[in-house]
Amino acid sequence: MASSYNAKEEDGHHSGAPAHGGAAAAAAKSKKPDNTAFKQQRLPAWQPILTAGTVLPAFFVIGLIFIPIGIGLFVTSNNIREFEVTATPTRDTSNVFMYYGLSNFYQNHRRYVKSRDDSQLYGDRSALTNPSKECEPYRMSDGQAIAPCGAIANSLFNDTLELYHIDSNGTRNTIPLVKKGIAWWTDKHVKFRNPGGNNNLTAAFRGTSKPVNWRKPVYDLDPSDPDNNGFINEDFIVWMRTAALPTFRKLYRIIQKKAVTTPTLPSGRYVLNISYNYPVLSFDGRKRMILSTISWMGGKNPFLGIAYITVGSICFFLGVVLLIIHHKYDTRNNSADIPN
Amino acid sequence: MAMEIFESGLSWEVRANSRHYHKHKQKKSFLCFHWGRYADNVVHSYKYSPLTFLPLTLFEQFQRVANLYFLLMLVMQCIPAISSVPWYITIIPLVTVLSVRGLKDLVNDMARRRSDFEVNSRPCDILVSQSFDSAQWKDLCVGDVLRIHKDQVIPADLLLLCSSEPHSLCYVETADIDGETNLKYRQALSATHTQLTSQPSDETLAAFDGLLLCEEPNNSLYTFRGELHWQGECHPLDHAHVLLRGTVLRNTAFAYGVAIYTGADTKILRNSGKQRVKTTQVEKVFNRVVIGIVLSVLLVALLHAILSGVFSSQVMGNADISSTVVVNANPVYTGFLTFWSYIILLSPAMPIALYISFELIHTVHSQFIGWDMEMYWQPAGRPAQARNTSLNEELGQVGYLLSDKTGTLTQNRLVLRQCCIAGEIYGDASVRAEDVEPMDLSWNPFSCGGLHMSAPSLVEKLRGQQCPPSRQFLTALSLCHTVVTEWKEEALFYQSASPDEETLVGAARELGWVFLSRARDFISVSELGVTRQYQLLALLDFTSKRRRMSVLVREPEGGLKLYCKGADIVILERLHKDLQYQERTERALELFSQACLRTLCVAVRSVPEASWEQWRKTLAQSAAMATCDRDALLEKLYDQMERELQLLGVTAIEDRLQEGVPETIALLQQAGLKVWVLTGDKKETAVNIGYSCKLLDPDTRLLEWQELRQILQAPDPGVSFFKARQMELWAVDKKMAGAKTAVVLTGPELAEFDQRPEWGSTFMSLAEHCQSVLCCRVTPGQKADIVKLVRKHTSSVTMAIGDGANDVNMIKTAHVGVGMAGVEGGQAVQNADFALSQFRFLQRLLLIHGRWSYRRISLFLRYFLFKTCGFALVHIWFGFFNGFSALSMYETWFIALYTVLYSSFPVMCLGFFEKDVSAESSLSWPELYKSGQRQELSSPLILALSLLYAVYSSLVLFFIPFGVFYDTALDYQTMAFTVAMAATFTATIEIMLLTRNWTKINIAAVCVSVVLFFIGTGITHSTVLFKKAPADYIFIGVLAKAFVDPVVWLTALLTAWTAVLPSFTAHAVNITLTVHDKQKVHSISPQPVELKSTFRRGTSLRRSPNALF
Repeated sequence: MASSYNAKEEDGHHSGAPAHGGAAAAAAKSKKPDNTAFKQQRLPAWQPILTAGTVLPAFFVIGLIFIPIGIGLFVTSNNIREFEVTATPTRDTSNVFMYYGLSNFYQNHRRYVKSRDDSQLYGDRSALTNPSKECEPYRMSDGQAIAPCGAIANSLFNDTLELYHIDSNGTRNTIPLVKKGIAWWTDKHVKFRNPGGNNNLTAAFRGTSKPVNWRKPVYDLDPSDPDNNGFINEDFIVWMRTAALPTFRKLYRIIQKKAVTTPTLPSGRYVLNISYNYPVLSFDGRKRMILSTISWMGGKNPFLGIAYITVGSICFFLGVVLLIIHHKYDTRNNSADIPN
Repeated sequence: MAMEIFESGLSWEVRANSRHYHKHKQKKSFLCFHWGRYADNVVHSYKYSPLTFLPLTLFEQFQRVANLYFLLMLVMQCIPAISSVPWYITIIPLVTVLSVRGLKDLVNDMARRRSDFEVNSRPCDILVSQSFDSAQWKDLCVGDVLRIHKDQVIPADLLLLCSSEPHSLCYVETADIDGETNLKYRQALSATHTQLTSQPSDETLAAFDGLLLCEEPNNSLYTFRGELHWQGECHPLDHAHVLLRGTVLRNTAFAYGVAIYTGADTKILRNSGKQRVKTTQVEKVFNRVVIGIVLSVLLVALLHAILSGVFSSQVMGNADISSTVVVNANPVYTGFLTFWSYIILLSPAMPIALYISFELIHTVHSQFIGWDMEMYWQPAGRPAQARNTSLNEELGQVGYLLSDKTGTLTQNRLVLRQCCIAGEIYGDASVRAEDVEPMDLSWNPFSCGGLHMSAPSLVEKLRGQQCPPSRQFLTALSLCHTVVTEWKEEALFYQSASPDEETLVGAARELGWVFLSRARDFISVSELGVTRQYQLLALLDFTSKRRRMSVLVREPEGGLKLYCKGADIVILERLHKDLQYQERTERALELFSQACLRTLCVAVRSVPEASWEQWRKTLAQSAAMATCDRDALLEKLYDQMERELQLLGVTAIEDRLQEGVPETIALLQQAGLKVWVLTGDKKETAVNIGYSCKLLDPDTRLLEWQELRQILQAPDPGVSFFKARQMELWAVDKKMAGAKTAVVLTGPELAEFDQRPEWGSTFMSLAEHCQSVLCCRVTPGQKADIVKLVRKHTSSVTMAIGDGANDVNMIKTAHVGVGMAGVEGGQAVQNADFALSQFRFLQRLLLIHGRWSYRRISLFLRYFLFKTCGFALVHIWFGFFNGFSALSMYETWFIALYTVLYSSFPVMCLGFFEKDVSAESSLSWPELYKSGQRQELSSPLILALSLLYAVYSSLVLFFIPFGVFYDTALDYQTMAFTVAMAATFTATIEIMLLTRNWTKINIAAVCVSVVLFFIGTGITHSTVLFKKAPADYIFIGVLAKAFVDPVVWLTALLTAWTAVLPSFTAHAVNITLTVHDKQKVHSISPQPVELKSTFRRGTSLRRSPNALF
């Protein structure tokens, strides 16, 4: 964009200097305004000269930037293989992420979002036995404080998903699902902490009660891994990171790639075994299981690409319209100016 | 006695030298209880003490509706049931606003406290038991006798008892009260003078035990009524006996007085009233928009509350969910609570920081006016001044400029150019004043130059004692005035409230009639070296209503003479019937006024002894009467005396145009302003000034009353107006006819408008087609009436400019009042919103400062509206996807810091530094000013569009991230950060689009805002803070995670760009369409200011007098 540097002489210093001399007293008394660039509103300034010639290309440039970005995003998003419930395996050699999806579940309702006690989850002992009022009505049960308290914890997603590969022989191989690393690092290591460290959780949680909907107490969430119990259970942490919108998915497990050459999920028949615990029907919702690979842009997200392409095209279109207007106006104006 | 007090209304009782009597009646107060009658002499202009500062400042600030609104929000946020955002979110902006303003008030108050202390501890001499003790002002009490030294400021309203000067005269300077720097004299009663100065000692003063009965304290500076009861006699008192607090004693060694009113009862403190609050058009429109926003917020909250109720009742079936989501298992109650939650959540849409920023910008703009070197008037050392700091943008919208003539268009530096004595004209006005060859006045020891009239024949006549009328003429000039003399370094100086008088007395001195001094009863004049004492019997003073003044003197020879000078019509109708020179004098008057000279007639009358005696008795009776009756009687009495006058001659004084007046008027007219001149002068003088200052063109057709009246009376005034114009100018180009008409009206004709109110609107619609309107012979009241007429019938902003006390009324009435700090007293400036020293400074005030201010403030308001609404309204759309639960779309800290840190600096810079074209271009293309008159940047439509734009951007801010986040594993906190980043980017890009003038500070402010956003967010998302208070900083780690997520960045950038796309497109369209207008502006050569073919002007001159008489 063309600019003109409109700097006037910076004469701020000129007026200051003589005032120190003999005329100081006189200058101080005089009400004559100081001749500084600021006071005279002559601060040097850039005044970009905006003309049709500089503004119109901006539309095309932005269009030209946005459309490729959009196409790139769209293609990337399309390359992500995503399979809902009935999964067709791929030859992908990367990790495959396993999500559960819920629809029409208002995990972003304010009263629901607030229904937790972050001090309790941070391992605060006093909050453990005396949770925040926000947790009502899931604060106390049978006179004992609920740990973890609140509606979010109470509604923890507790279906168990298991994936089996049926190979050509008809044997059913369990696909190993990794449950570590599905939560944010800061959540796992800073935000959530067990009271009194990770040793002897049973003792630490003594005097508290399990959330009413839960089958097992919080210190017994993962029998297979003692370090994945209590508040730092990763499934729990993922659930506690509430969703933005009523239709969402959450990371459940990771299927790690085996080797560089073998596909993570070789082709064949798969069986998904769901231990159906979580009552979805009651809130008129839907429950899904998604297997997906990810790319640099995360999960599959066609919207962003389309949005970029759309906005880019609009810019391009506007540029064209303005160009036409400019052209017409220009010629008409020039002819109108001549008689003057 | 009591009865008497009641009847006369003189209920304020003061006993001289009895401190004990007054002391226990002094006003005291405890908390809100007040008792006592007499104020002490301590000034408390400061408001706060360390104890009361906090409660008082809070009380004051919460009287503003906006602050109260936010306090209400704060209280609501503390109720857990409805609190959608924590209480500290509102408190940050609120505390910022309150503390900025509180600090400002505190600084001002400290300054007041310092000045109070300085004033209260000024020294004065109080008589305490037989001798004068040095004391401080605050020790003074009603009834105390004081001694005032030369050049001392008078500490309270005093009754002058006596002074060191003969006849107990004393001189005071009232600059602090009315801005007039000339000396005025005050005089003690002859009773007190003779008694108290006969034995000049403190004892006599200590023994003074007079009882003073006065009117209750009031604010009238120029009236006073009271009685002195002393030694069994009653002496009436008026304002000439009183020394007011704040005036300075001059030219008098000592004066003694007794305090009548002290402290808060004094006239000057009673006068320090509040300034009338003027609000600007832009502010009015904006306030309506804010009310609209509040109402819409209520409406949206209601809608969401209902929907929330519906949602709640739908989930009632599920006990698990409803136990959390529905309060008390009652959907209606839940909806009710949601209503309040949404009001809290949407409250940021109401711009809290706006009013304080607005004030700050106004203050800076006012400073810019004062700092402008090109509006600094070197000769007087006076910069321009914005006395009212809240009207700046109004300066950019002025449609009507109503100007006084004398002292405003003209210099008010008066020069006697011609005179006509006994029908003989002396002097020549066609020569420029500087080029007049000075006469040889070496014979006159008092001559000190300054006479710009060459009339050797007159001098010859005077010195040769040939022409008695000329001698009488000069005697009249040297006697009939209120000028005061002052000797400085052996030289005689004249001081007067009226520049005309000073000029005339000065001219008389040059010609040998030297006014030497004035005592109470005598005026000494040296007539060609012979000193004569005239006994002054009465002074019939000048008022704007009487338009004349007279003195009644006894000549040294014993005869009684009344000398009178005044406006020609007043004098001419009071003349003795058969006068020999009348016809020639009237011709001279006509000639003088054609040459744009101010004329005064001088006349004399010999008064018979008998009629004087009788007149004096009636006058003495009138002194005891109540003010209003007395005024009427005096009027009649004076009228009786000023009759059967003999005309001596006419003086013609030149009042030259100020520098740059024609250019300024031409420029303002090009800028679309209607310039009207309202003057008390004669029609010819006004019309001639109109021509010479290019307000009227030589070919301008003057529309006078008879014709105008016919047009106004016609069934269709508009049609007959154009018909009349066409008939007159049928031969002339039709296009030309448009602007070339001017209306000339006089005061009495204007009075007819009072009876025909329906003419007002017709007249205004005609006046809009006219080049100008000249109103002559108008009174101060009528000037204000004209302003009212314009205000009533047009939507334009009116500006009144004037320099004298007679303009105060119109200055106060207009939207914007400008006072000229000129030769006349400071009253106009005291009452004005802006003070200038030169008329030509209006160019800069209006076309540069006004236009910039208007542009800056309009842009500032529009942007503010956009940024706050666009940011807050996102919650409406989010509500549809979170069960109308009033969940905030942003991290709560972001809401608090967005208004204060992330978006406030660049817009303040815009408000301070923005300019679309440079100062020079503003002056060379005055047409640019018209956009302000048409309210192009601040019309309700524009503001509504800004609102619409804000709604659009809030939609974009929500729905693009919505599309991206829908059915993904990205959580609420990431989305909150993404929207927040998009909102910050949107606000930043928008301000970048608006800013045309990028100073370093602008660039820094934009960068700092964005950087602050990331730093601020980083801090609130940090581990350290989370560990301190886990519940308040739940966004821990979000920034770190989102910062490296390309989806977040791409979403935020796309959202921000899409949000500002309409604005960008509008700019582009604007540029595509208007780039040619600018070229056009370029191509328009400034209209040639060289005007008036002499012939044309001659004809118009010839016509006007005929039309007049």
